[in-house]
Amino acid sequence: MRRCLPLVLMLLALTGPGRSEELVLALSTREVAITSTYTGAEVTVFGHIERDGRTIARTGEYDIVAQVQGPSGEVVLHRKGRFGFIWLTENRRRYPKIPLYFSVLSAKPLASVVDEDGRQRLKLGLEHFLPAPTPDTEERDEFGFRNALLRLRREEGALTENDKGVTMIRPNLFTARIVLPAKAPTGLYLVNISILSEGVPLRTAQAGFVVRKVGFDAFVANAARNDSVTYGLFTVLMAVLLGWVANVVFRKD
Amino acid sequence: MQLYLPIAELPLNLFLLLGMGGSIGFISGLFGVGGGFLLTPLLIFVGVPAPVAVATSAAHIAASSVTGALTYWRRNALDLKLGTVLTVGGLLGTLAGVFFFNQMRRLGHLDLVITLAYVTLLMSVGCLMFVESIGAMLKRRAGKVQPMRKAGEHVWYEKLPLTMRFPRSKMSTSVIPLAVLGLLIGFIGTVLGIGGGFLVVPALIYFFRVPTSIVVGTSLFQILVTMIVATLLHAVVSQAVDVLLALTLVVGGVIGAQFGTRTGQALKGEQFRLLLAMLILIVGIRFALDLVAAPADRFSINATELER
Repeated sequence: MRRCLPLVLMLLALTGPGRSEELVLALSTREVAITSTYTGAEVTVFGHIERDGRTIARTGEYDIVAQVQGPSGEVVLHRKGRFGFIWLTENRRRYPKIPLYFSVLSAKPLASVVDEDGRQRLKLGLEHFLPAPTPDTEERDEFGFRNALLRLRREEGALTENDKGVTMIRPNLFTARIVLPAKAPTGLYLVNISILSEGVPLRTAQAGFVVRKVGFDAFVANAARNDSVTYGLFTVLMAVLLGWVANVVFRKD
Repeated sequence: MQLYLPIAELPLNLFLLLGMGGSIGFISGLFGVGGGFLLTPLLIFVGVPAPVAVATSAAHIAASSVTGALTYWRRNALDLKLGTVLTVGGLLGTLAGVFFFNQMRRLGHLDLVITLAYVTLLMSVGCLMFVESIGAMLKRRAGKVQPMRKAGEHVWYEKLPLTMRFPRSKMSTSVIPLAVLGLLIGFIGTVLGIGGGFLVVPALIYFFRVPTSIVVGTSLFQILVTMIVATLLHAVVSQAVDVLLALTLVVGGVIGAQFGTRTGQALKGEQFRLLLAMLILIVGIRFALDLVAAPADRFSINATELER
């Protein structure tokens, strides 16, 4: 009987009064198709915060933070240095496994949603797209590669922070607008949504969507990778034929 | 109209690409060079990743040299024998170039190698040609007859073993220096994504004194064969050829090349060399400035690669 006690307590915690909110998510699309006319895309997340009679009463309103993490890959950062009178790459740093797309969306600036400590603990904010700096890497980052990476990826649109990206339609109903740039990498995108109230995290939920080449672009990309000999022969044949056609068309005699 | 390029993985304006291909094609037809030494940096400038820019330029060069070479072939201004010797050397150089290129890409040194090689080549070839062509123009104005090669006169490298006669080019020389020239140009061309025409043309004129009319057609033939092989090897080894980018550039390029060929026929030999020298120098100076001027941002993202 005593062995069952923790289980009973746990059940009580789940069903008893003072239960936490539920979060239901829906995405406008599960797949973003890259075709010949692709120049970027938008994915909307719809979210509903469900409460019932047993949910704890809240005095403050809900805050939503959505973090979108794209597929991982390698980024190589170069730093130029002066050698005599020419500028050459002096140092390079390789980041082998970082998200090639990362965005943080909220309805108001992150700093007013949760304090610095909370952001660290919950890993909220752009700087968390990189693994936390250990004392070791911190020490080695004497050239400020980490800050430069954040800044440059932000300029390229691969890192975005938008404090107007989440719209509260009702106090418990919201949408989050994810903007994908033209150079968005293909692969799986994970959407991580957290609800907070007065800086206290209440619940998180995940959803995901896929960005992939379809139709002609998928065919070309596959051929280039899996059938490279035929692909190369085709490209050459096309170039030679077009050159010959132009010569015949523009022939004077 | 934006067109998404499946291998370069970014959308670019279709008319921008056609225009770029067309203007480089015009220059290519005008001077009998590939034009890759202008196209590759232009592509990188509009955002195409460097490996894709280099590999895809090869297809564009192949197309514009087909158009040009056919024109010269019809006018009997193409030394097939000389072209074949250069090509054999060129193919060996291309093979070495592709593997070198891929090795460098893996190490991440490609940008430095490309920039340094560009500057050195462009500046030295440009300066030499500039000085020579101005000199030739002054001599012509002074009414002096240009020194011609005397029958039977040979420079030391022409006297090496394996002598061969080239009746169309009116010369007989050892095959060794020609094959070495082809090898060097094949290697440089592949690594830099340039046809090497702007190196072949002056080399044949100055080192082997082949008549200018034959030089352009022969160099286009050699460029054509070398670039066909380079495109194939790039497609197989680095898999960085973008067929859609190639198609748009080629369509613009072959049309531009035809107009360039007509314009070029109105030019005198020295004018031709002076204009080409100036073009090469401008590109060289632009790259040199990149090296010398303090960068606006010391940091740059050199490559992003999706995990496969």
